[in-house]
Amino acid sequence: MQVDVSSYIALSAVMFFIGVAGVVLRRNPLIALMAIELMLNAANLALVAFARAWVNIAGQVFVFLVVTVAAAEAAIGLAIVVAVFRRAKNVDVDEVARLRG
Amino acid sequence: MNAGAALEVLWLLPLASAIVIWAFGPQLRRTAGALGTAVVLAAFVCALFLFGAATAPGGVHQPLGSWFAGFTFGLQLDPLSLLWTFIITGVGGLIHLYSIGYMWSDRAIARFFAYMNFFVFAMLTLVLSDNVVGLLVGWGLVGLASYFLIGFWFYKPSAVAAAKKAFVINVVGDVGIMFAVFALYATTASIAFADIFAKAGTLRPGILFLVCVGLFIGAAAKSAQVPLHTWLPDAMEGPTPVSALIHAATMVTAGVYLVARFAPLYDRSPAAQELVGVVGALTMLLGAILGIAQWDIKRILAYSTMSQIGYMIMGVGVGAYQAGVLHFFTHAFFKAQLFLGAGIIIHALHDEQDVRKMGGLRPLMPFAFWAMLAGTLAICGFPFFSGYYSKDAVIYGALEHGHPWLFAAGVLTAGITAYYMFRMIFLVFFGPFRGEVADEALGIDTHAAAAHAEQHVAHAPAWLMRLPVAILIVPTVCAGYLSIGFGGPSPWARFFGTSFGTGASVPESAPPIGEIASSLVVLVLVAAGIVLAYLRYGAPPVQAAAVERLRTETVKMPLALRRAFFVDDFIEIAIVHPVQALGIAIARFVDPHVIDAGVRDLVWLAGALGAIFRRLQTGLVRGYALTIVIGAAVFIAYFATLGAGR
Amino acid sequence: MIAFYILAAVLIASAVFTVTQRSPVYSVVGLLVNFITLAIFYFSLNAEFLGVIQLVVYSGAILMLFVFVIALLSSGIGPFSEGPNRLPLILAPALLSVLVAFGFLIFGLGRGPLVPALSAAGNASVGAVGTAKAFGSVANFGTALFTTQLLPFEVTAFVLMVAVVGVVTIAGDASPAPTLGHHGRRRKRAKEREPIVKAGR
Repeated sequence: MQVDVSSYIALSAVMFFIGVAGVVLRRNPLIALMAIELMLNAANLALVAFARAWVNIAGQVFVFLVVTVAAAEAAIGLAIVVAVFRRAKNVDVDEVARLRG
Repeated sequence: MNAGAALEVLWLLPLASAIVIWAFGPQLRRTAGALGTAVVLAAFVCALFLFGAATAPGGVHQPLGSWFAGFTFGLQLDPLSLLWTFIITGVGGLIHLYSIGYMWSDRAIARFFAYMNFFVFAMLTLVLSDNVVGLLVGWGLVGLASYFLIGFWFYKPSAVAAAKKAFVINVVGDVGIMFAVFALYATTASIAFADIFAKAGTLRPGILFLVCVGLFIGAAAKSAQVPLHTWLPDAMEGPTPVSALIHAATMVTAGVYLVARFAPLYDRSPAAQELVGVVGALTMLLGAILGIAQWDIKRILAYSTMSQIGYMIMGVGVGAYQAGVLHFFTHAFFKAQLFLGAGIIIHALHDEQDVRKMGGLRPLMPFAFWAMLAGTLAICGFPFFSGYYSKDAVIYGALEHGHPWLFAAGVLTAGITAYYMFRMIFLVFFGPFRGEVADEALGIDTHAAAAHAEQHVAHAPAWLMRLPVAILIVPTVCAGYLSIGFGGPSPWARFFGTSFGTGASVPESAPPIGEIASSLVVLVLVAAGIVLAYLRYGAPPVQAAAVERLRTETVKMPLALRRAFFVDDFIEIAIVHPVQALGIAIARFVDPHVIDAGVRDLVWLAGALGAIFRRLQTGLVRGYALTIVIGAAVFIAYFATLGAGR
Repeated sequence: MIAFYILAAVLIASAVFTVTQRSPVYSVVGLLVNFITLAIFYFSLNAEFLGVIQLVVYSGAILMLFVFVIALLSSGIGPFSEGPNRLPLILAPALLSVLVAFGFLIFGLGRGPLVPALSAAGNASVGAVGTAKAFGSVANFGTALFTTQLLPFEVTAFVLMVAVVGVVTIAGDASPAPTLGHHGRRRKRAKEREPIVKAGR
């Protein structure tokens, strides 16, 4: 690989911040969860790149764990979405403002 | 037990009995009187046993504990405090006995004795302390006891007012002493007398003067010296035994004790001594002049007390410590005698205190007559009575220490004292009895008179009130003999030894006239006073037209004398009214608009801040997510630029 | 080298596509493309095992999960209906903070070398993709997972169990039994008592 690690990190950063923008700006909860998946994957990319750079397998093992956790989190997030929006008229995150003070 | 422990017992016994009487008052009733009296007399006996130890070099010393460096408390018994202890417990014990009879029918008799014993404890604290702070504590407690006792009949508004007045004026004095204590501790790093006096020479003259003045302000308040004297006549609202014990024999003499105790400091500050002497002389003169104009028998005695204490203060002020203290000693006896005798009269006349309504009591109450006569002769300085020796000592002492004007004032006052005291004797004991005469005929303002009557009904065994008076006749006559030395130093001088230092007792230059000559001058004026009083009040033709003459005198009394030279009015206008106005202004304006408003505004602020921050709680997840992102941006910015690792 | 840039472009484009589509189904497709591209990246970075995991778990399972949930929630074809935008002013701050963060991150990247440069020599020690026991191969990965990283591995099992329990609790039972209320309970109890009497017959 002739590409420098920092290129991968920059790429990971771009993907990450796209995900951030998605979470903050989209009102459909499903899209927001997908954006969160994007962020997690961006982190994974960075980890794999560093694992390759330091030639340390621990980075890749970490990615393995992240994937697992992301899967669990996606499952539960989707379960929550289902529970909350099962009979809702609008599938909109702004409609569920019960924490309003 | 050793002397120190005995001293501590002496000191604490009255407190213990005060607490017991206070706690079990309703059950004890009159027995409280017996208990209280027994305790005080037991303390007196204790003091007698400690005589030898106290007069030995170093005296008795009992440490009580210490707080931090330089703050050690303890009791000490040296000749000065021993003398005061004798008077407090001895004369006090006799007055306690008298009080059992006097307060016989009072429902609150137990409370009275609780307060009296508390007073004895407080006064002992004052005189037995070996440090300024303990003295100050005793000082304050004595003021408190005085407040309790003056206002004993608290359902009388005049009594309550008098108690408050006494307390407030005493507080002014307390502040003076407090500052003096601060200054002393700041400069000597100790509160014990021994340390302070040892370092007295190192104090700067300015500080020394201020300390002495501060202490004297306290002494002036407590001893009713001008201008802090206005509480003493009003303090006669209390029962007569209270007047006898506190406002004649002991509490008011605390000022004299203070100046005498701090002799090493005062001797080093001639300016302060001058101040003390002048104030004492002024009070002496003023009290006597005002005594001429009084119609209430207790007020006559009150002003005479003020005047005599003026003598004492003048005495210790000029440096004649032994003379001043001797006058305290004799005065305690004859003043107590006079008050207790007056109490017998008041009691017998069913609470009549106005001398205009008395008269002709000599055949009716011979015991009271001889007792009061003895006291009066003593106070006038009649030869061979105790007062003669002490007064002459003070007056001559002023001359010896180079104060001719004070000497003249003392001589003049002696004459005036004789005049008004014999005026009292003639009005009370001679001529026809005027008790049945209508008030208006005598010029009495019935409104004012009714407010001052004391309250009792039933009669106690007569010996309770007569025995103390009878016992007191002896020292009234003989106490002065202790100051006679045949060739060598008198017992009095030997008792004190060098208690007051050696500096001031030696006059600088020979006085212009000798002691005998000075004595004769005084006697001439005393005789003149007695004669004048006889001519105006005692002569038979005068006595026949007594009613008419009294009314004329009442009506023609100069306003200045009636209003006690307007001192009370001046204080009322200059101090009391502004302070009250300030208080009202604060209550009406500061309290609701500043303090309450401050609290209200704080509450409003909390609410307003809450309202502002509530707008952040939208409940919308995206908003919260944005907050996280912004935070992350800040973090990233920090770590990219300034953070660790780069 | 060129491959990197092309793949990077695809990655970014698919990410943007995912985030900006109205319909969630389109977003899922975009995400799929993203994941596959990521897998290719993993392969190129000597993470063969992870590449496969990415394909199998992420695009195979998680995205299917998304699709099923979309199906569950949608009442028809087309974009979901949404309420009014309650935070219309969020766009500017969001973009601003994102750009700021990104900017500083890149700035920080530029400050110095992150690691010793990926060199060809390093490549040699790593071993080519596909070689047995090379860095990132299944054997290598597995060895690490079951020896030095055993504990986290076991914990993930626990995490997955928790997830399953959570999902069942939160979203299970589409229509729970309606509450009976006071009279309903009495009627239910009365009904339950009947069989005892009836059983006597």
